[in-house]
Amino acid sequence: MNVSGLVLTCFRNHKETAVTWAPRLNVITGPNGAGKTNLIDAIHYLCMSRSFVATSDQYVVTSGEKSFTVEARFSGAIRSKPFDVRCTYSRGEGKRIYVNDSPLDKLSDLIGRVPVVVLSPDDKKLTREGPAERRSFLDGFIAQLSSAYLRDLIDYRRVLKQRNALLADYRMSRDVMQAMIEPWDLQLATLGSRIVHTRAQTLLRFTTYLEKGYETIAGIGHKPTFAYKTFINTVYSDMQINDYSQEGGADPDSSAPLSDFTIAGGPDSATADTRAGNTEGVAAGEDGVSGGKQAVWTPEEIQQSYAELLQSGFDKDRERQQTTIGPHRDDIVFYLNDLELRKFGSQGQHRLFALALKLAQRDYYTDELGDMPIFLLDDVFGDLDPSKTQVLVHMLLEQSGQVFITAANRNLFTSMFTPQKGMDALYRVADGQVTPLSE
Amino acid sequence: MQLTSETLENAIEQLAKLPGMGRKTAQRMAMHLLKQSDDRVNQLAQSLIDLKTKIKYCSVCYNVTDSDPCPVCTNAKRKTGTICVVEDPKDVYVIEKMNEFRGRYHVLGGVISPMENVGPNDIRIKELIARINDEAEGVEELILALNPDAEGEATSFYINKMVKPFGVRVTRIAHGIPVGSELEFIDEATLNRAFAGRVTF
Ligand SMILES: [Zn+2]
Repeated sequence: MNVSGLVLTCFRNHKETAVTWAPRLNVITGPNGAGKTNLIDAIHYLCMSRSFVATSDQYVVTSGEKSFTVEARFSGAIRSKPFDVRCTYSRGEGKRIYVNDSPLDKLSDLIGRVPVVVLSPDDKKLTREGPAERRSFLDGFIAQLSSAYLRDLIDYRRVLKQRNALLADYRMSRDVMQAMIEPWDLQLATLGSRIVHTRAQTLLRFTTYLEKGYETIAGIGHKPTFAYKTFINTVYSDMQINDYSQEGGADPDSSAPLSDFTIAGGPDSATADTRAGNTEGVAAGEDGVSGGKQAVWTPEEIQQSYAELLQSGFDKDRERQQTTIGPHRDDIVFYLNDLELRKFGSQGQHRLFALALKLAQRDYYTDELGDMPIFLLDDVFGDLDPSKTQVLVHMLLEQSGQVFITAANRNLFTSMFTPQKGMDALYRVADGQVTPLSE
Repeated sequence: MQLTSETLENAIEQLAKLPGMGRKTAQRMAMHLLKQSDDRVNQLAQSLIDLKTKIKYCSVCYNVTDSDPCPVCTNAKRKTGTICVVEDPKDVYVIEKMNEFRGRYHVLGGVISPMENVGPNDIRIKELIARINDEAEGVEELILALNPDAEGEATSFYINKMVKPFGVRVTRIAHGIPVGSELEFIDEATLNRAFAGRVTF
């Protein structure tokens, strides 16, 4: 995909900015606070209907103004014709998205039209912090490829909220609640099983992309792997599908609200196997875990298992007033050379792993969609050692995908490559003013 | 701040309680009404009063009506054995406009939603079961025409379970592909669900 132009109105410190982009590398430099990130965040708005920086749209409106608008023209192999996307937000009226001037019914209808991959300083949370970060990465990843997944996810969250509201009704007797909960369990099992199945399928294919991504940036001789942890005890190829059981207080996560549950059980045949291998620090690549391709469960099998677990977990859920089993508690555990990254990874390894994840996401999209996603790299070169930066820039120049890079230091890039006319461009941003630099 | 008109403030407060109405919009609306002629405002006020005093709920199907029972329930030409279950009166309006359905209705007046504290007893499920039990009604089939969202699905499931012992046929309207739309323009999510909910031909 390609974005050819961008117009921002009252978007942060960009009162009125219009930029024309180059089809390959766009390097945006300037002092901190000049508005570099805002430019690529505006592109992100037009891909994902929200900011990748701000927690709320209202902070994005230039102070003293009522509303912001961003607009751009996109083209690419996915759609036959170029199309315009516009996003407006105003205090009081909220956010609207228009594609070719016609409004979308739901903001979520935008997602997937312009696939995007973002690399930002925030990515350090991905490998270091709680499961919610990884779930949101995974969901954003798949949602851009499948609108069916996104809709299931939205519906799942709605049903979950309803089920939890019911569980929190302390005046209701156990028997009444058990009868009332059935319609919600049924929907949760249908939606949840499709979500887990899609996640497993996607992650299964993701493995090789991750290896390649890590190799690109760190060279050969490393083994990045991961385990998909969900409520079903079984093994998907070399991914270990763990149950939730975490005995004892050894886990650093044990204080986190999302992991303080014990066990989800599972079909008997699979339970014994994984239980045995499911101890602390088991690497995804260990013998007996990676050995042999295992059949991926069908959505129907997962659904049945999930429905049973919801039923058997009813009393516990009622006691805790929330649903303790389901894909909303999934996690991905990353390993580097069979050691759990979160526990044993160095700062540098975390950084490279996050980078590899995003490179893998980009390659995955490219293969899946037959077109490269837009790649936004926000202020990531400051932390990276120059040799890695060089590797990355060279890789980006070899490919045709459109890339946006923000950095404080322009010299870093001018020493590394000469922009090719009509392909790459350098921009300087100061006080919300964007100036293209001709070499 | 000192209120210059408590009357105005009161009107704003009342308007702001309406669904989809923020305080700002309510203010704008109150100011707008203030500028209108007495006649226009009286007409508006009267229509609102009529809404509550003249419109009744049909004692059979709970649709809104000027006369009880409603014209649908009293129409001898309509099939009594088939009842279409809907969430609210505007759904009856939509289905009637289609001019296809010849049975009668049952308006639930809501759907089950624990988040909003709406349980099965807060909507007219009991009344529906009473109708099924009433031999004079002769109910043979229920057509569930609720929205395909989480709450509609839960309500449909619940009703189906409750009426099963009475041996009535329960069907539901198919949802998925809007009529008149070309397959290739349907989004993948809708298409998936349309396939999941396919019916025998
Ligand atoms: Zn009636």
